Amino acid sequence: MLLSKEKTADIIPQKVPFVMIDSLTSVNEDSFISSFIVNKENIFFKNEKLQEPALIENIAQTVAAGFSYVGQQEGGEPKIGFIGAISKLKIHQLPSIGDEIITTVTQLHQFENIYLIKGKNYVGNSLLVECEMKIVVGV
Amino acid sequence: MASRDEIVSTVKEFLSEEFEVDKSTMEPEANLQETLDLDSLDYVDLVVVIEENFGFKVAGEDFVDVVTFNDFYALVEKKLAEK
Repeated sequence: MLLSKEKTADIIPQKVPFVMIDSLTSVNEDSFISSFIVNKENIFFKNEKLQEPALIENIAQTVAAGFSYVGQQEGGEPKIGFIGAISKLKIHQLPSIGDEIITTVTQLHQFENIYLIKGKNYVGNSLLVECEMKIVVGV
Repeated sequence: MASRDEIVSTVKEFLSEEFEVDKSTMEPEANLQETLDLDSLDYVDLVVVIEENFGFKVAGEDFVDVVTFNDFYALVEKKLAEK
């Protein structure tokens, strides 16, 4: 684990009950990985499943945590990103209580302070949601 | 190396498809941003289709002098020559 749950929460702008990642587990030059355990107190938990908005937000918050972590490592202020657009969204399945969601985000392209990323979240080998996002990173 | 006519044809093809704009509106001296109705987020898509079709990357500073379609074709020509 790269960052604990507490430290991860400190570097993303979202606050409880809208926090949809537990910890940032890996950061590479062009990819970030996070983990998140589904619990029944989650505001998007309904009909025994974590719903789609939580999974999309989970991808966005993985990006936020990754950029923030990189910003801190470079000695600057944490970078804050905003979702500019979501495309190519596919919902495959929804996770259940207790499932550990592993989310991978890969940077596809960058133009100035706008990043095109590909996000996927999994439980085990089962793909939950995949999409592309344009993230505008504050400078 | 691709000729100017080949570049123009390729560019019109992928821009019309990506930005859903009729090729006939892409006059050489037409304003690229206005014709394609590009906002800042759309430039990422433009960067993607350029790389997919021509195999080179472009950065923000490459667009400083790009106003018209002719300017854009000249940018593509220059980048292809540098490859």
